[in-house]
Amino acid sequence: MSTSIAIRPVARKLLRPSGAQYIPPPFLLPSLLAPIQQKTSFSSTTSNLYPRDNNRERGVSTARRTGLRQPLSVSKTPLPKPVLDPSKRSKVEVDEDHGLWDFFHSKEKPMNTPEEDDDHGRPWCVEELRGKSWEDLHALWWVCAKERNRIATEAYERKRLEAGYGQFESEKRDSHVRRTQRAIKQVLSERYYSWRDAEVLAKNDPEIGLSGQGPAYNPSNFVEQYVPVEEKASMESDVKPEQDISIEPEAKPEQKSSLNL
Amino acid sequence: MASQRPLKAAVFGKKEVFLPNFVLTLLRTPNIPPNFATFLVPLSLNKLDLRDYLFHAYGIRVHGVRSYIQMQKIQQDKPGAKRPKPRKWFRPKSIKKMMVEMERPFVWPEEPKEYDMWDKKTYDAANKDREIQQDQFRPDARQKPSKERESIAEQAQALLQGKESWKTTPASNEWNEGEEEIEVETDVELPKTGA
Repeated sequence: MSTSIAIRPVARKLLRPSGAQYIPPPFLLPSLLAPIQQKTSFSSTTSNLYPRDNNRERGVSTARRTGLRQPLSVSKTPLPKPVLDPSKRSKVEVDEDHGLWDFFHSKEKPMNTPEEDDDHGRPWCVEELRGKSWEDLHALWWVCAKERNRIATEAYERKRLEAGYGQFESEKRDSHVRRTQRAIKQVLSERYYSWRDAEVLAKNDPEIGLSGQGPAYNPSNFVEQYVPVEEKASMESDVKPEQDISIEPEAKPEQKSSLNL
Repeated sequence: MASQRPLKAAVFGKKEVFLPNFVLTLLRTPNIPPNFATFLVPLSLNKLDLRDYLFHAYGIRVHGVRSYIQMQKIQQDKPGAKRPKPRKWFRPKSIKKMMVEMERPFVWPEEPKEYDMWDKKTYDAANKDREIQQDQFRPDARQKPSKERESIAEQAQALLQGKESWKTTPASNEWNEGEEEIEVETDVELPKTGA
């Protein structure tokens, strides 16, 4: 910044190659020399050749909606306007096999009428389910679970729309589904207990092998020897004294004392 | 577009739940895009559970799940209390909502135009009647203007403007005094008292 602001335009003109032929007259020479004392420019008006600062966004305001200083490539394309009226909006096509249809009883209306809700049978009872396989029971449980989702969705919608009656019917339907689920659980717990008991019995059964090696069931010969009634009675009488001998009165206190210790 | 976004390989947990015992409630949400669905879920359910459940039970592929627990306002005493105790505060259980972003859009079936099948007229009339009945037993029921007040005001205005004139009750409706008493219940045997 060796030259002052006032002489810059003149100096530029002199330096320009096109304006090289123009040589100022000699009486202007003092004006070209930099004044030593002068700090501010003579004129108070700003030069149009220079911007105020290097801010490229000057004058661009979102608050005043000025827009950009230069047009963009998309400026000629009209902007899409939002459709405020919901009835004029384009319809969304829903697939027929969408999974969320399983939250409804029908595709026409969002909830069942009380008559439709009431149109059902009784819940499955335990006696009927005892003969079913695990696959059947599991499938029935899932049918119940999805039905409960359906009932809950429709009950919520009916309450939201203030549609009217139908709460009693839907609650009754739901209770029947829950009773079916309870019966399934009861059958499964019965099976579990019987399996546990069978395991205890199998440990003492010589015919059943729980080791995992060899067959699990080794049936022994079931042909019993024919014993006449008189011989049977005599055998029993022979056995009796042996039983008396085996239970010795002296042995009992010893066992008790060992337990007490 | 969200629908064109490539699906991540679905990774599911290894714990098998054979008998899930909870209820999902699908909510109608017309103000969010159709590839979103919102559910009311139990508080114990998490995002991974919901994604797994929707895929295996309903065949819905889910891009993402957002979860939100809504605290309920406090109220006086429990909801089932016969006489809610004052200053005994109770806060109902929070509500958990989950919003899933689905692969395919879904729109609810339209709301029914008429509610005759649900007998809405009777339902609304019964509700209105019940509210009127309940209002009679509120502590400030005496302070509130009664229904007859409007009718009384109308009649007073009519009298003041001279549209109607004051009529006294006709004498035939009043008690007849000065006549002999007649025993009405002649077939009743009265017990004899005194000597």
